[in-house]
Amino acid sequence: MGILTLRDVSKSFGDGPHRVDAVRGVSLNIGRGEMVSLVGPSGSGKSTLLAMVGGLLTPTSGEVLVDGADVAQFGGRERTRYRRDRVGFVFQGSNMVPFLTARENLLLVAQFGGADKGALKRRADELLEELELMPVANQLATQLSGGERQRVAIARALMRDPVLILVDEPTASLNTELGERVVDALAAEVSGRNKACLMVTHDERMAARADRLIEFRDGRILNDDRLDEGAASG
Amino acid sequence: MLALIEIKRRKLQFGLVTGVVALISYLIIMVTGLGLGLNEQAGTGLLSLNGDHLAYASNANLSVIRSRLTEEHVADIQAAPGVQQGTPVGYIAVVVEYAPDESNTAATLGVIPGSFAEPAVVEGRQLSAPDEVLVDRAWVRLAETGIGETLPLPVGFETRDFTVVGVVDQGYFFFQPTVYVSLEDWQGLAYQGDLAGRPAASIVLLQGDGIDSMRGEGWEVVTKQEGFRNIEGVAAQQSTVNALRYMGLLIGTLVIGVFFYVITLQKVSLLGILKAIGAPGTFLVTQGLLQVFLVALSGALISVVLALVTEATLLSSDTVPIAFNTRALVTSSGFVVIGGMVGAALSVRQVATIDPIIAMQQQ
Ligand SMILES: Nc1ncnc2c1ncn2[C@@H]1O[C@H](COP(=O)(O)OP(=O)(O)OP(=O)(O)O)[C@@H](O)[C@H]1O
Ligand SMILES: [Mg+2]
Repeated sequence: MGILTLRDVSKSFGDGPHRVDAVRGVSLNIGRGEMVSLVGPSGSGKSTLLAMVGGLLTPTSGEVLVDGADVAQFGGRERTRYRRDRVGFVFQGSNMVPFLTARENLLLVAQFGGADKGALKRRADELLEELELMPVANQLATQLSGGERQRVAIARALMRDPVLILVDEPTASLNTELGERVVDALAAEVSGRNKACLMVTHDERMAARADRLIEFRDGRILNDDRLDEGAASG
Repeated sequence: MLALIEIKRRKLQFGLVTGVVALISYLIIMVTGLGLGLNEQAGTGLLSLNGDHLAYASNANLSVIRSRLTEEHVADIQAAPGVQQGTPVGYIAVVVEYAPDESNTAATLGVIPGSFAEPAVVEGRQLSAPDEVLVDRAWVRLAETGIGETLPLPVGFETRDFTVVGVVDQGYFFFQPTVYVSLEDWQGLAYQGDLAGRPAASIVLLQGDGIDSMRGEGWEVVTKQEGFRNIEGVAAQQSTVNALRYMGLLIGTLVIGVFFYVITLQKVSLLGILKAIGAPGTFLVTQGLLQVFLVALSGALISVVLALVTEATLLSSDTVPIAFNTRALVTSSGFVVIGGMVGAALSVRQVATIDPIIAMQQQ
């Protein structure tokens, strides 16, 4: 069994004539160390799938198993811990707390308890360095460029050393070179460790740097290919 | 602390919110203060008399104006069982022309100099001779008659000059500032002509135990508070004032509650982000409530300061009766803070039930 297993997961929004079936019976297994790209047209349900895996949306039916436990069954406290400690989520639109600086946005997670603050401080510096954010570390989130914000969001997701890294469009505002570096950094983060990364992207070149490429259409998996030229291997 | 950092970095927004809270709270306090002020003018002069019970003529229907007691009544009352001390007090309203073409009514109370009915002076000295008068601060503010100056009080068709020897702090009676003369001088002011048959007093001020509702021939005893409530118009006025107060508190609290409810709901996307990255519910609630508590409390404190400044200004102008007591200030501030926190708590609760990803999309 891998890190993440989806069994016949569906999600619908609304009722009656307004009902939207965003995800329709998806089954999937992601193993340790895997870097997986998820591609598909706009509105195909990629973000919805990611949100269910991240414990931010409850599936209409099916099971989302992380390390064997069903995320959909978690109670409030377990769900909060799960989001805080085991998932690193990079949202589409990189949601920052606007009145905090880049560094404060990273350190925010230290306020939620359950970790050593000193260690998190060192981790924040490490990540700011690694994602080339040191020069803007003390700028307010609202004063950052789109690309900088996305990198801060990635850094924030990695703060607590999560088992599952869920990334929604991380490279949309990055130039090719920077985008590749970010994707490679994510791949390096999970490679050979008890971790996995699921990344939604529109950019084929970015998608191609993963170990595995899943194509999504109309809420279903169309294709699931293992790539030989993954970023981790080459 | 997230809540404090946000206040620090969004000074303008939080300043405006605090300002609105302060204005609403100020409104509540002013309604209360004006009500209390009106109440005070109706009869603090009576309430601040130094006794616990009052004896009225039984045909006066507990009206100080209509009550007239004879020497015999007074002696009878003083000797009644349970009475420890009793001293006659006379009342008459007189128009005082304190400057050319400037006049005002003064509630003139006659007391026996040296008795416990004579109020203690805050300035000057007590009464010691005929034709002397003690004036209340309210009178000083109004007519600017100081110690050593004369006050012409009407006797029949003439006026008699009284010398101001002291200033007291007793307040109003019947919406008129009080002045105090000796009981004998009061008799001269109140009744002219035949000496025989003149009333000896209007009421008798009493100290005693178990004398409430005591009755004798031609007189009856009630507590001072009962006497106050029976001042003409006070009961009706007090219910109006109370209605205003409670309406003010209720509406003000509701407005502030709804205000914070809406303000907190606007943070739904921020709360969504925080929840999505693992902020516990208790963290969100504490931060939210802490922020509202600080804002509401500062607003309430600002309004108290504003109210006290207004009071000082209005008092010195002496045209608008206004009064605050600590209880009224604490009550209204308390309601403001609690209203705000309840409103915020309700919306945080509502936000807490939304899926974080959906909350984040509601920008
Ligand atoms: N909260 C919601 N309420 C109703 N419908 C929703 C909601 N969220 C998503 N949908 C619908 O579900 C479908 C899938 O949306 P989703 O955001 O998962 O697409 P996506 O693949 O991420 O698209 P994009 O590439 O544009 O981000 C869309 O038709 C969308 O309108
Ligand atoms: Mg999407």
